[in-house]
Amino acid sequence: MLELKRTLDAKGHGVLEMPSGTGKTISLLSLIVAYQKVFPLEVSKLIYCSRTVPEIEKVVEELRKLMEYYSKQTGESNNFLALALSSRKNLCIHPEVSSLRVGKEVDGKCHTLTASYIRAQRHSDPDLPVCRFYEDFDAVGRQMPLPAGVYNLDDLKDFGKRNGWCPYYLARYSLMHANIVVYSYHYLLDPKIADLVSKELTKKSVVVFDEAHNIDNVCIDSMSVNISRRTLDRCQTNVETLQNTIQKIKETDATKLKMEYRRLVEGLKEANVARETDVYLSNPVLPDEILQEAVPGTIRTAEHFVGFLKRFLEYLKSRLRVHHVVQESTPQFLKDIFDKVCIDRKPLRFCAERLRSLLRTLEIADIADFSAVTLISNFATLVSTYSQGIKTLLFSVSHFTLSPLDIYPRILDFRPVTMASFTMTLARTCLCPLIVGRGNDQVALSSKFETREDFAVIRNYGSLLQEMSAIVPDGIVAFFTSYMYMENIVAAWYEQGILENIQRNKLIFIETPDAAETSMALEKYQEACENGRGAILLSVARGKVSEGIDFVHHFGRAVIMFGVPYVYTQSRILKARLEYLRDQFQIRENDFLTFDAMRHAAQCVGRVIRGKTDYGLMIFADKRYARADKRGKLPRWIQEHISDGSLNLTVDEAVQLSKHFLRQMAQPFRQEDQLGLSLLTLEQLESEEMLKKISQIAHQT
Amino acid sequence: MDEEPERTKRWEGGYERTWEVLKEDESGSLKATVEEILFQSKRKRVTESHGQVRLGMMRHLHLVVDCSRSMEDQDLKPNRLTASLKLIETFVEEYFDQNPISQLGIITTKNKRAEKLTDLAGNPKKHIVALKKAVDTVCLGEPSLYNSLHLAIQTLKHMPGHTSREILVILSSLTTCDPANICELIKTLKSLKVRVSVIGLSAEVRVCTVLTRETGGSYHVILDESHFKELLMLHVKPPPASSSSECSLIRMGFPQHIIASLTDQEAKPSFSMSHLDSSSGADLSLGGYFCPQCHAKYTELPVECKVCGLTLVSAPHLARSFHHLFPLQAFTESPTEQLQKDRFCQACQGELKDKSIFSCPSCCSVFCVECDLFIHDSLHCCPC
Repeated sequence: MLELKRTLDAKGHGVLEMPSGTGKTISLLSLIVAYQKVFPLEVSKLIYCSRTVPEIEKVVEELRKLMEYYSKQTGESNNFLALALSSRKNLCIHPEVSSLRVGKEVDGKCHTLTASYIRAQRHSDPDLPVCRFYEDFDAVGRQMPLPAGVYNLDDLKDFGKRNGWCPYYLARYSLMHANIVVYSYHYLLDPKIADLVSKELTKKSVVVFDEAHNIDNVCIDSMSVNISRRTLDRCQTNVETLQNTIQKIKETDATKLKMEYRRLVEGLKEANVARETDVYLSNPVLPDEILQEAVPGTIRTAEHFVGFLKRFLEYLKSRLRVHHVVQESTPQFLKDIFDKVCIDRKPLRFCAERLRSLLRTLEIADIADFSAVTLISNFATLVSTYSQGIKTLLFSVSHFTLSPLDIYPRILDFRPVTMASFTMTLARTCLCPLIVGRGNDQVALSSKFETREDFAVIRNYGSLLQEMSAIVPDGIVAFFTSYMYMENIVAAWYEQGILENIQRNKLIFIETPDAAETSMALEKYQEACENGRGAILLSVARGKVSEGIDFVHHFGRAVIMFGVPYVYTQSRILKARLEYLRDQFQIRENDFLTFDAMRHAAQCVGRVIRGKTDYGLMIFADKRYARADKRGKLPRWIQEHISDGSLNLTVDEAVQLSKHFLRQMAQPFRQEDQLGLSLLTLEQLESEEMLKKISQIAHQT
Repeated sequence: MDEEPERTKRWEGGYERTWEVLKEDESGSLKATVEEILFQSKRKRVTESHGQVRLGMMRHLHLVVDCSRSMEDQDLKPNRLTASLKLIETFVEEYFDQNPISQLGIITTKNKRAEKLTDLAGNPKKHIVALKKAVDTVCLGEPSLYNSLHLAIQTLKHMPGHTSREILVILSSLTTCDPANICELIKTLKSLKVRVSVIGLSAEVRVCTVLTRETGGSYHVILDESHFKELLMLHVKPPPASSSSECSLIRMGFPQHIIASLTDQEAKPSFSMSHLDSSSGADLSLGGYFCPQCHAKYTELPVECKVCGLTLVSAPHLARSFHHLFPLQAFTESPTEQLQKDRFCQACQGELKDKSIFSCPSCCSVFCVECDLFIHDSLHCCPC
């Protein structure tokens, strides 16, 4: 809290690390809300970014509790407006549109109903389909602000249904005057979306990124363009349709095209009126100076532009025919394209904007169909705009990948005012990290590439799991480094009969890349933990299970990490990223890789402890964890509990230690035992001694 | 050396980090904390049971003993099964000592099945013989919590409402193999007012936590053998009778012990009625207890008359249960420094070294913690 307050006072950035389940969310929320109440002018808005929809919901629930507490204590209802925002997919209440499953389809469908030119057309032709929710909202919704309160997604939907307003646009509109906004990273980080949604947010906002270790990946995701041969093929058909439409329009309504031409001559600065609904085509991060310029003459007329697109497409196709990996920088790429198909850099830059304008003129409603060509034009613009930092990668598997690495540090390269890592105060040691480095036969355990196929290692991993399954109650979660590795090991275990032995103690569930299968497995896993049969979940670090699913209490009494979860180092994206880090920040590749691996290991292992009454074993089964450089990168709250006695154990020693630990933990643990240590009553909190202690702790950090 | 070859080979057992017990005091807060917690709970047990609570004096307890593969584990010496059976023997004796008019039955579970070792009965001897025999059973397969609870309910549900219905499970395995959903069974148990308590030998299992919480029992996990014994002995004391249990009057007979001297010519030797069913030990004897209603002869009490069904007890038996009704008041705890007089325990005359002492509220005598426990657990009255 103190650190947070300092950060707020200094108006700088802060990085806070806290162990899971210690109430990050609520302490952040309560302080910032209090701050907001006292200094309404300095901090006008809180933006809380989370990753997944369930997490957003959780935050809103916490917030609701806080607000209830406020109104109970102060006796007056406060006029805070807090709301959650998600995609159309989660918010749409239109009967037809919301029945679609895929986000893209929902977006496209919504667009056909609400795009500004469609609505304009409807004036002349009232038979066209219409989304009455949007119409109602447009007609009256804007004048009536959303009443104060806390709204989660369902509340918004309910509110929308009651008033007949579209919840999505309502939420987006209310963002402007809401005090607290909870939404996904993308709305703020992805320049394509952020521009539309978050542009009007004021400068005096506090932005909180929950689980910020995902930020870099989100950035990379949002700015990467993947182009495969299929996209190109689809693009080809898109361009053909475009051409046909242009032809048709030319015959019927030549003036329209002329108007557009004239407008382009005047420049790209258009009135911003209709943009609200036309999100889908927003251009990627165009710097302002480009918007000031006029579109170059070569692509001004529609036919020329289509021809231009065709040439560009052909060029990309020819590049994709290569069968080896080519990595080249942007200037190289641009030069090459100029040499081969005579495309200058300047028109490329305007590609995205021009396409948007064209589609608008042609009144093509269903944008989803044109995603491919949009992608290509975005790519063209990106490539030509950012001269440095972007690597163009050409794969033998026919993938273009762009990693906009200068975006990444631009976001992460801030100077934090405070950087604090908190640990937990515990009445009892409720976590027990063990590093198992050897099997019973003294064979070193490691998931290192050279020993991957080694039968001795696989057998020892098997015996570790088997022994653990006999002594750990209820649920065990085991993480492997990759799906491939897991498959190999499980197959080997099956042959050696280890699986059969394990199944005498517990049932085995396996995570697969398929989401539906995994959630089924998870459900059954929880059932097995609940009714006393006991279960083991085999899953993959960086998989779905490791990221978003908590294993409270009996659902996870132990976590076993088989190996160190290094990323696939041969990956092109990673290589480009590493190179960039090395060039720009002098971060050694190895350092980054270790950092990344340990971050994920900690993430996996942190799944079991979700609060102070919870307890769990954490077993790191790889001898490399014992090394100081690896251990030092684990979060402080785990490091604290690793003693010298728990390093480089054999399987047997680990079993003995865990047995002891589990018995200790099973002793009755009541709230009074925590009192004074990790739980304070009001009197204790106010006592002189405690205040001194707290300020002491505060000074240390 | 020959009698138990597997026990003598120390290297076959698991690692025992005996040296760590000595070390842990200064290095980790772990042991100190846990001991503190244990001490508190020890005290709590004494203080908790006081006050005027009505205790169920007639108990019906089913003891479920896990005999699955995990009972072969050697962390209790020589193995879990032998150690627990031995402790259960002392428990059975203690149980009938403290609750003379109660009954007990034993169920074993292994290989996904549950079997009755002994029926509900009031004679400790029969149980102890059965337990002694059970030491040789082979431990195999998984236990079935469902089946054993189900078997226990079959008899418990017919017990009259004024008696308590209890099940005590000694569970070593961490898994249970059930034919149906156990949650349903827990609901049935709850509606039948059966109290289920569990003593775990290895770790905390979720389903037991739920089971005991729902049925109002207690759940403990052992640390070592002495702790195991302590936990078992907790169950010797009758639980508070629930307010909903019925009250009823029971007819009891108090037979007199008639000793016939060998010189008395009129005395005729006769069989005891309790030996009718057991083939062994049917001896002719002269004296005995004679049922006041039907004059059937018994050599030992307490017993239910085979002929007329009257409960036969002796007065001391009832008196022993009687102290449950008027328990000794809890002693007040205070720090040792406050004591002005000599620092000696009034009971054992030892020096008071611990940080707190205990004094009787009525006579103000001072005791150490051990004596306090002894007075409350065994003596049931203040010695001073």
